[in-house]
Amino acid sequence: MHSYRFVSFRTAFRTAFGAAFSAALLLCVTACRDAADDRARANGIVDDFGDTLALASPPQRIVSLNPATTELVFALGAGSRLVGRSRWDTYPDSARLVPDLGDGMRPNVEVVLASRADLVLLYASGENRSARDALRRSGVATLAQRFDRIAEFGPAVVQLGRVLGDTMRAHTVRDSVYASLERARVLVEGRPRPRVVWPLWLSPLLAAGRGSFLTDLLVIAGAENIFADIDAPSPQVTFEEIVRRDPDIVLAGPVQAAELRAEPRWRALRAVREGRIAIYDTTLVGRPGVRLGEAALHLASVLHPSAGTGK
Amino acid sequence: MKRWRWVALGAAVVFAVVLGLGAGSVGLAPGDVLAALTGAGDATVRTIVLDVRLPRVALAVIAGAALAMSGATLQGVLRNPLAEPYLLGVSGGAAVGAVVMTAAASVAPALVTAGAMVGAAIAVALVIAVARAAGGRFDPRILLMAGVVVGAFANAAIMIVLANAPASSVRGALWWMMGSLADASWYDVAWVAPLVVLGAGFLWARARDIDVLALGEDAAAGLGADVDRAARALFLAAALLAAATVAAAGLIGFVGLIVPSMARALGARRARQTLAASALTGAALLTVADLLARTLRSPAELPVGAITAVVGVPFFLVQLARIR
Repeated sequence: MHSYRFVSFRTAFRTAFGAAFSAALLLCVTACRDAADDRARANGIVDDFGDTLALASPPQRIVSLNPATTELVFALGAGSRLVGRSRWDTYPDSARLVPDLGDGMRPNVEVVLASRADLVLLYASGENRSARDALRRSGVATLAQRFDRIAEFGPAVVQLGRVLGDTMRAHTVRDSVYASLERARVLVEGRPRPRVVWPLWLSPLLAAGRGSFLTDLLVIAGAENIFADIDAPSPQVTFEEIVRRDPDIVLAGPVQAAELRAEPRWRALRAVREGRIAIYDTTLVGRPGVRLGEAALHLASVLHPSAGTGK
Repeated sequence: MKRWRWVALGAAVVFAVVLGLGAGSVGLAPGDVLAALTGAGDATVRTIVLDVRLPRVALAVIAGAALAMSGATLQGVLRNPLAEPYLLGVSGGAAVGAVVMTAAASVAPALVTAGAMVGAAIAVALVIAVARAAGGRFDPRILLMAGVVVGAFANAAIMIVLANAPASSVRGALWWMMGSLADASWYDVAWVAPLVVLGAGFLWARARDIDVLALGEDAAAGLGADVDRAARALFLAAALLAAATVAAAGLIGFVGLIVPSMARALGARRARQTLAASALTGAALLTVADLLARTLRSPAELPVGAITAVVGVPFFLVQLARIR
């Protein structure tokens, strides 16, 4: 009887102690995590998935799975720290020397882990959420960024610079891009603004819409996008609608321009009949990256040939 | 079924699992994989083996077994060797439910599975109603046509839901409609496993009903069975198995078609034997199919549903020729 009570007493004590200990541990863990979150928030490193990023030291092995961020990593002088990229990241040329880890959307987590990265840069799209979850669960830091508009470019560069440990350089990159953009704007100031259609894909027919940096570039380069009233970055549009809106100029890459001229239905468009297809360099324009300024200057010279190149 | 065949099936599953753990997009030495499994060795290798490959192989085993048992049940009850959750539109119905739930901005797996379950149950009811209206629920070809029609309707419904969704989620949804185990995590395993165990347990307990119904409706009624009620319960269990798989791994076709036939070819006759042999074969088959999906074009992935379809379609044609 006595010993029975003793045992049960000890068990009760143990249970209580265990519970208290667990609670304390849990409290500590939560508190510590909160503290880390607070630090990260204080540093302002909350990415476009809403995740906080807390790095003890600047990352040394970086995987970038987004062409635009790969460009930026090189521009920020951290190209030598890249240990992986997506198969689409081919600018600058040195990016081709970085191991190709496959697709940047729905990336192969196993391959990314095997690169032993300490930071993975992702495009913040819903398709990449599961990769983000898997990488974070495995203890690999991720930074998901999405900059579709020119206004979003500056903050993204500065955030990436902070993560890579060189904010000064990030500010320089940002300022030089914005300065070139301003040069392009000044170059075409006061000139008549042609109304432009920018087909991004012919079948299905996709055109640049308001949500894309391409529309921002057009405005800076002294033109108006006829589909600036559609919110999506690259909405699917009907051919009839293009004819109805009757653009002054069709903006196209060299290959696409040849396709447009070869396809009879595009003759229905006044701009095509009158030969006003402006051909731009698709390797320069196409990514909201460090060459945005150059791209704007290029577009300005293509859309306003008499204005010069601004160089 | 002879004992050595059971042993061979068990060995095939073990072999597939070992292969699935040992091979992948990244080449790992067998010793390193073994060390990782015992919790030793390099941390990165451990993460790859324990948190990427192991949950993926586990989900392949569970999903393969579930699809195969679902197919075995449908084939038995409908007395139709071409019955299968994918071809009968059951998976399509599950997909509609899952997509509607996901589009309603809820990603909680319980709700997605519940949506898939409701969709699958509706699809089963529709297929049987359509087949009955067309004059023969037990005519394999009519039933199949009903399945194709319901599946096409499900596809259309999904396309309409997705038409207004943002482009990025459409691409993700398309990938999922082709079936993929790429996003497998322990979390998925943890909620799919109990559902599959529940469905499998129910089928195991009611295996005698499958045997009785396989004799035909009249004979079954003659044996004193409540035919409609027994069939309904079995269809629901088969739908649950298909729905859980669809919610976790998308639309994977033809596993439910091929595997029960293989089980019968191995000598399984009674429902319990067919269920057990199908579960083992399905687990091994899907694990190997998924291994192919992640290694054939590494580092890119192929949808596993496309691989099972490439294997399954010729098989389907052979079966179709045989029943004519």
